[in-house]
Amino acid sequence: MTARISSQRYAVEDFQQALDLCYSRGWTDGLPVVPPTEPAVRAMLDAVGLEPDTQIAFITNRQVAITAEKVAINAVMAGCLPEHMPVVVAALEGIADPRWGYHGPATSTGSAAVLVIVNGPIAKRLDFNSGDNLFAPGWRSNATVGRAVRLVMRNVIGTMPGRLDRGTFGHPGRYTYVMAENEAESPWTPLHVERIGCRPTDSAVTVMAALAPIQFYNQLSSTAAGVLGTLCDTLRYPGQIGQPNYCVVLAGEHMRTIAADGWSKADIRKFIFENSTNTVAHFKRTARMPGAVKPEDETANRPIVQSPDDILVVAAGGRAGSFSCFIPGWASRTSSEAVTVVIKERSA
Amino acid sequence: MAGFEILDPTVEPRRQPLTYVPRPDSLKGKRVGLVENTKFNSDRLLQKIGVILKTEYGAADARMWRKHNSGVPAHKEILDDAKQAVDVVVAGIGD
Repeated sequence: MTARISSQRYAVEDFQQALDLCYSRGWTDGLPVVPPTEPAVRAMLDAVGLEPDTQIAFITNRQVAITAEKVAINAVMAGCLPEHMPVVVAALEGIADPRWGYHGPATSTGSAAVLVIVNGPIAKRLDFNSGDNLFAPGWRSNATVGRAVRLVMRNVIGTMPGRLDRGTFGHPGRYTYVMAENEAESPWTPLHVERIGCRPTDSAVTVMAALAPIQFYNQLSSTAAGVLGTLCDTLRYPGQIGQPNYCVVLAGEHMRTIAADGWSKADIRKFIFENSTNTVAHFKRTARMPGAVKPEDETANRPIVQSPDDILVVAAGGRAGSFSCFIPGWASRTSSEAVTVVIKERSA
Repeated sequence: MAGFEILDPTVEPRRQPLTYVPRPDSLKGKRVGLVENTKFNSDRLLQKIGVILKTEYGAADARMWRKHNSGVPAHKEILDDAKQAVDVVVAGIGD
């Protein structure tokens, strides 16, 4: 690849000066970054076989083109390896998809983060964590890919806290919020195969505008209905109305209990959809819907999402522990929906 | 360590000229469009604004459109309709 890299260059004496420059220019997420030198950026571009000026995505609301060069620079800064670049690119394609609706989740007071779910062989090959300590620090792939996405949002799209990002609380997942599905131990069809008909040998990312994970506990039940009944009772918790998606992350013990009853992901989705409704009366009493409670409101049920298919079921998390979690999506179905994108790896 | 160069990770916003249509001197007899952004009570707020523009400023009429959601611009149907049906538009964001 010989095409010119056109970004402005800054001469620095040493690493410390490079770091100071990045901080002073507001280019970091608060943590130190890897100085983006041309050789490192070229290695990123080579990994995806893209010219620097190739447009990865276009954010309509901001009228910003995201070029391969800028993605590569930010991926270097985030600490990515060149092998991570195809995953970062796919995630960015996902959040630029009109269905994801970038402007809302990126800027809203509602404080969504970009949940990235990695599926397919690339997850194992690059050691994306899908097990113990699923959302914890310690895995380079999980840590840097999500960080690269956020740095692109900040440095390229202009999603700056306090300016075009007005999150009331923000979100710890805005540092990174990446997991892989535990396909090796899962008894179920992988997420990317279910959602867009990928082959299991394809790799893909699913991006969802997501709130924080909420853990639930059930050590008592040995049935699918028992475990998922606890989930529904927790998931139905007030405050969530009209969410576009929920991601339900089932960890080892619960995964095995549910699978032992022969339930598929479709069975799980159906059960959750049918057993997590709230009455209109409840929403009105808790001031989540306007108006006085009418007698018919007591029996008018509202599901948590429009369709069972809006519930993303993922097998991931530690093998031990009677815990699983769910992740509410941000806002409403017309505002943002989860998008799955195939990871385009460069053929050798 | 020898000196080296680092690359700028940011993008300069693309500059483009924006022109506004001239503001009317008066709303008297003007047809007013109201673009509602789907947030709670934004329709009620805009309805009241429409009434005020008619009763206090002499606007001829006020009609409302609803966006798909608050995070997107007004869609094409709204723009096409508004071009035909109104002289001025009030677009507010309620939160």
